[in-house]
Amino acid sequence: MKSNKFYKLLVAMLLVLTLALVACGSDDEGDAEGTDDTSKSEENGEDDGEDTEEPVDKGEEILSQFQYDPSNTGEPIEGGHLTFGLVDDDPFEGTLNFNFYSGAPDAEVLNWFDESLLSVDGDFLYDQEGAATWEHDDSGKVFTLTIRDEVNWHDGEPVTAEDWEFAHEVIGHEDYTGPRFDETLRNVEGIEEYNKGEADDISGIEVIDDKTLEITYKEATPSLLAGGIWSYALPKHIFGDMEVADMDSSDEVRKNPIGIGPYKVETIVPGESVTYTKNEDYWRGEPALDEVTLKVIATSSVSQAISTGEVDIVNDFPADQYPDNEDLSNVEFLAAYDNYFSYLGFKLGEWDFDEGHVVENRDTPLQDKALRQAMAMAIDGDIIGEQFYHGLRWEANSIIDPGHRLYHDPTWEGYEYDPDAAIALLEEAGYERGDDDFFTDLDGNEMSFNFIAQAGGEVAEPLAELQIQMWEAIGVNVELYNDKLYQFNDFYDRVGNGDEEDDPNVDIFGGAWSTGSDVDPSGLYGKNVRFNFARWDNEESQDLLQAALSEEAFDLDFRKEAYKDWHDLMVEEVPVFPLNFGLEIVPVNKRVVGYSLDPDSDLFRYDIGVTEEEPQVD
Amino acid sequence: MAKEVVETTEQNEDSNISPSGLRVFWIEILRDKLALGSLIFFVLVTLTVFIGSALLDLDEITKIDPLSRFLPPSSEHILGTDTGGREIFGQLIYGTRNSLVIGILVTAMSGTIGVLVGLVSGYFGGHTDNVLMRVLDFFLILPFLMIVIIFVSLVPKYTITSFSLIMTAFLWMGIARLVRSKALQERELDYVNASKTLGTSNITIMFSHVFPNITSIIIVNMTLSLASNIGIESGLSFLGFGFPESTPSLGTLLSYATNPTTLEKRWWVWAPAAILILLLMLSVRNVGEALKRAADAQQRRGT
Repeated sequence: MKSNKFYKLLVAMLLVLTLALVACGSDDEGDAEGTDDTSKSEENGEDDGEDTEEPVDKGEEILSQFQYDPSNTGEPIEGGHLTFGLVDDDPFEGTLNFNFYSGAPDAEVLNWFDESLLSVDGDFLYDQEGAATWEHDDSGKVFTLTIRDEVNWHDGEPVTAEDWEFAHEVIGHEDYTGPRFDETLRNVEGIEEYNKGEADDISGIEVIDDKTLEITYKEATPSLLAGGIWSYALPKHIFGDMEVADMDSSDEVRKNPIGIGPYKVETIVPGESVTYTKNEDYWRGEPALDEVTLKVIATSSVSQAISTGEVDIVNDFPADQYPDNEDLSNVEFLAAYDNYFSYLGFKLGEWDFDEGHVVENRDTPLQDKALRQAMAMAIDGDIIGEQFYHGLRWEANSIIDPGHRLYHDPTWEGYEYDPDAAIALLEEAGYERGDDDFFTDLDGNEMSFNFIAQAGGEVAEPLAELQIQMWEAIGVNVELYNDKLYQFNDFYDRVGNGDEEDDPNVDIFGGAWSTGSDVDPSGLYGKNVRFNFARWDNEESQDLLQAALSEEAFDLDFRKEAYKDWHDLMVEEVPVFPLNFGLEIVPVNKRVVGYSLDPDSDLFRYDIGVTEEEPQVD
Repeated sequence: MAKEVVETTEQNEDSNISPSGLRVFWIEILRDKLALGSLIFFVLVTLTVFIGSALLDLDEITKIDPLSRFLPPSSEHILGTDTGGREIFGQLIYGTRNSLVIGILVTAMSGTIGVLVGLVSGYFGGHTDNVLMRVLDFFLILPFLMIVIIFVSLVPKYTITSFSLIMTAFLWMGIARLVRSKALQERELDYVNASKTLGTSNITIMFSHVFPNITSIIIVNMTLSLASNIGIESGLSFLGFGFPESTPSLGTLLSYATNPTTLEKRWWVWAPAAILILLLMLSVRNVGEALKRAADAQQRRGT
């Protein structure tokens, strides 16, 4: 379903901004010592269960306080109207086609009226429930995709294999300016040649008949089944005569977008709201609502909007407002694991623009992994989750987040908060304290690091300060870079996502990713990816990540084992270390039915309905 | 209106003796209970924050304590705590001190520049006046806020001094205009001409003769602008362009109120800062108003 990992990561970064996540911190020692640190065997690295003997998975424990589904199980009424709140402080951009869009808010708008041809199950693997079915041959490289007969565009034209092929041709076209032409799509055989203009069509794609498409991929990897297929068709009867370069700014994308989803776009107020009407011809059946209104709600007015029934559901609820709203009588808060982790990382090198890969060449005391390990131990992710995110986040044990159930394992050991051990480790590694009581580097020079943190919400600043305090507590001198927090774009430019060199004064950075459907982290930590902000170059890591994508890795146990090894390597090397996992919280008006956050739910968007004419109010 | 006229008449009858110099100001303040109260309040606050900030440990105040976030006022936390578990009280003391120091610095510096430019411009008149006033016009049309915001984003680290300097660069024009117009009047008077005839140098005339004659208006103007300058730092910090968040500031405390929950349910975070800013600016203004009346014999209440 999703194909563009690259893009998703960007989205992730956007999310980072809105969620205000950032870094972590630990807290003052007194308290941490107070909690019983019984070396819990694992679990998400949590350590607070004082009286539990059994190791408890903290994430699971937190999640169990919530439901996936609304308690309301009534029958939806006829002719219902639902209002959906898109929480965003900015207007949505309005590139309303999956083949061209680039912002997460646009995706929220799109999801109501368009959908992927292939559907995925709770583990983000393709299943056969979508508008198209699939099968692959023994080599795992050739996929035969069959579109169901009843799948039509909103204008009544059937969705054809040609439309699907056309989408590939547009994205792979040299004039295409959108963000979708990424590693995943480059895996299609012949698309690179087509992109360079060496071939007239993509040799790996073949239209068998009206409804059947055959795609050959260069390499068979488990990732193919987890979002590796581009699954959004583009209606050739509408876009066929258009220049590729003009498509994303055309009225067909901006004003009268078209899709195959359960609702059709009725009107768009650019950047503000969209009204949809029921698509009677929807292939799964008749949608439960007559009309849906999507409107942008500012973060500061979300709680107001849900308590007055102005919106029935929102896409994302700010965790810091949860405690003050959990008792609202008219809504129910549902939750699920967020595909997300926050982390802290160390800058170890720079990006080589000519060669397009990282070079781990920075001359910094951080090159000593003992120091990095100690700094990871110094941070208490739990206190941050509990105190700053009201227990909706908890310490992460690894980079594989709990949303990826097949691979996440709470028993993998990460770094427990243990400042004493951190100090002991530093002393053992030969560090000595200078006059100011901070550790000096191994040559006896003063050692101090710049920590860059992201602005976002009122907890960002205290969190950054708290982390610095936690490092100070183990005797490592860290300063907030330039004494201020950086806005999203500025932050990522300096950390290394811009067109320019990474800021050489940044030593430590705190960020977060929302993870894609495929668990593969090589898009974040590979040698030749820009998102490897730590600029960490490690051959063993490359090999392990490669192994996890090999044909052998179709065996789940093998792949999991590879990720386990990779996790252990990350714990040993600590170019970055994970800080928090979290829940996504969704308030739902009590009149809403057919909605679920359960990854295994068999409800689809067209099932969402309401049981009363008017929203309930608090 | 009618009543005022009556009062004025009465006062004029009272004022047989005309005390001179700073005494007039003092007498006026003593006569105006509101101004007197304001002055006492201002002095008290100033003393408290300067002594307080010398006694309190800044590191302690800015230390994050995740376990005591948003605690309401209690015996342990006199004014409660903010989002990082930091004492509001300590931040209030430090923040007020910063605001005051900046307000006073900016007023003093912009006053100095303004008086110099105004005096020179008004006293010499002609081309000098013309050139200086065009420079002044140029500064006047610059978009003040925007430039300050850009400055703040560009300068990696800024201090009270650099902050005051940049503010001063945009705040000396008002007083310069005022002083110029007064100086223009004064230079036509006989005492100036007499001095010139006697061969006194221009500088001596400007500073020893003209300047003393316009001090009252300068004092009044500077006092009134002090009132608004105290708010400058808070205003910018509120917008996120003041001092870094880790530096205690009244504006930062105020900006917590942009979170609806804090606004509604955690009044102790922002209310003290809001009240303090209001009172401080009002009190300085009250004193300034009294001085203004004192500078104009017609409006004086005291004698």
